[in-house]
Amino acid sequence: MTRVEVVERMKNLAHRFFLPAFCVASSILFAASILAEEGNLEGLRDWFLSGEYVAEETYVGGGDVRRNSRKSVRDFDEHDSILHFVITPRIKPGVLRLGAEWERFSFGLPDGTPLPDNLQAVNLVIGLDTQLSDSILIRVEAQPGVYNTGFDDLSDDFNAPFVAGGTYIFSPNLQLVLGVSVDIERKYPVIPAAGIRWKMAPQWVLNAVLPTPRLEFEMNSGLTLYAGGNLKQNSYRVDDQFGDNTGIPRLNHAVLTYSEVRTGAGFDWKISPVVTLTGEVGYQPYREFDFYRAHVRYHQDGGAPYGMISLHGAF
Amino acid sequence: MKFKTLESSQRLFASASVILLLLLLLARSTSARADAVSELASFSIFNKVDLAQLAKSEVKTAHGSPMSNPRFLAVQSCYVAPGSPAQQIEALRRWDPTRHRELKVFLHSDLPSNPTAASFEKLKNAPDNGPVRLLVAATQKLSPDLQISRDEAKKFSDTGGGGRSGAMPASVAAFWIDVLTARAKSFVSNGTSGQPPYDHSGKAIRASDELNGLLREQEKIRRQFSGLLGATGIGRGAGSLRPELYWELLDVDDQGVVTLGASYSRSGANGTFQAADALYYASGGYYVALTLYQLWPITVESKASTLVWRGDMISAPSLGSLHGVERLGSESVMMKQISKSVTLFRRDTSGSR
Repeated sequence: MTRVEVVERMKNLAHRFFLPAFCVASSILFAASILAEEGNLEGLRDWFLSGEYVAEETYVGGGDVRRNSRKSVRDFDEHDSILHFVITPRIKPGVLRLGAEWERFSFGLPDGTPLPDNLQAVNLVIGLDTQLSDSILIRVEAQPGVYNTGFDDLSDDFNAPFVAGGTYIFSPNLQLVLGVSVDIERKYPVIPAAGIRWKMAPQWVLNAVLPTPRLEFEMNSGLTLYAGGNLKQNSYRVDDQFGDNTGIPRLNHAVLTYSEVRTGAGFDWKISPVVTLTGEVGYQPYREFDFYRAHVRYHQDGGAPYGMISLHGAF
Repeated sequence: MKFKTLESSQRLFASASVILLLLLLLARSTSARADAVSELASFSIFNKVDLAQLAKSEVKTAHGSPMSNPRFLAVQSCYVAPGSPAQQIEALRRWDPTRHRELKVFLHSDLPSNPTAASFEKLKNAPDNGPVRLLVAATQKLSPDLQISRDEAKKFSDTGGGGRSGAMPASVAAFWIDVLTARAKSFVSNGTSGQPPYDHSGKAIRASDELNGLLREQEKIRRQFSGLLGATGIGRGAGSLRPELYWELLDVDDQGVVTLGASYSRSGANGTFQAADALYYASGGYYVALTLYQLWPITVESKASTLVWRGDMISAPSLGSLHGVERLGSESVMMKQISKSVTLFRRDTSGSR
């Protein structure tokens, strides 16, 4: 007799693919119309029963950057803090993603350095995961918000980067990912990306998808070890007096693209079905502060070790 | 002249009769098609189906209704197959999934109505591969992932003995043969209600509760199949319908799994058929799985055909930890697997009629 095919897990896809874009306004209108469709409080309550969260802190030890042979910044450390909360209600077209995110880089820079002490993003997350066919999943996600150097002035530092991409499910063990990240303020506004997720053996998964490519080894159902990288790039606007204060007036209200690469190894420990603890240590081989429109660029001159701890999960 | 008129009248009458008959047949055929499509729309996710288009295409799959229990997942599919519903049921009954490696079924064996240990002898010659070796390792250390009862777990320490003819040591094969025989016998006499729970580690999971839970969350489908299911041992005690029993050794997420299944079918009005196929025991990977079929006779391009609706439902512990896009991805994988399975089935059986 014919038989039921069994579902195989597709872990770790959630943060791994990028997808086509929505403008912010249409996303908000779309979300509002879906909410209206639900039409009752019970439906509304169900919306908050599924979601995902991240609370993460990374400390990067003393590193160096330089602009040229005469101008450099030595031995400064970095804190990178992230809070992320997104509800993921199931609707007819797929899985809606609505939430908020905060990320703050704090640098221990010497006084007078022409680089900002803080870079901060406070943004909404508005997106949709949907299925194009049996084999293709797509994600569109906009992150409209304020990208600047702190809470002092939130008025005119609005930006709306977005990601769009698709996953082709070749088989339960192999998925191909294609996507694009768009940020009109960034030095390179459109960054395409491609990758694969390949379960090579029962305990081994190659998750070679940006921004966090990894090779994973599942020790048991609760513990996974991994080695990989983390590529970060975002644009921020510094305040109106930043250039005056640092002796380069053209940097007033300038756009800065900040990039860094981390390479390391870590573990994911599933403490409970909704809580996972991740610890990671490694080395940061690349970092760049680029006021690309003002032609002021500080690039890596000395890497630094880092450690990261994160609590995250989905419910 | 009179003769000619008479002859002509007779011809006219004969022609009219033929036309009337054709019209009647056409009307019946159209009406049967309309009935099938409207009945399909009444309980399934497919509320608009163009039969002519469906007949030319591959299987159509869709997500089932969302279910509140996170470990439940459902996918629905429909397709048109050549031949009558009775022929389709017979083909389903005869189909051997082990012929297709991609379906990852290593062993499939039908069981008699009174299963004995001899019915599971093939297990001693299980193929030597990674999934089977993982099943052996999990059994030897009585892994908490094994889905057995506490009483069954205790029996493993009693079953010593060495030697092996296939990949499975004699003690491991004997243990599973013992578990499968007892559970198959229990199903024959008490349906899924008589199945021991999976309580070897952690909370007790009962096959009957899982099957009833799956159906409870899909009320329209439950109502559509209530007559058939009420006569089976699925989610209840032994029913009045005689099941066709089988067991399999298969690969679930790279882990070898032994499973027990029961299939039922019965004819309905106007040549329709319903069938149910339950995997009521699995040593790991999933708790239970249920496939329901509704088959209607239709005519496509003057050929007898069958409109098939298939509903696949599964309860699996790993699904409980999937959220958002991961769940969407799992559903996609399940839909893809079902499409593949149906395509292979159609390919295998298209030449048999």
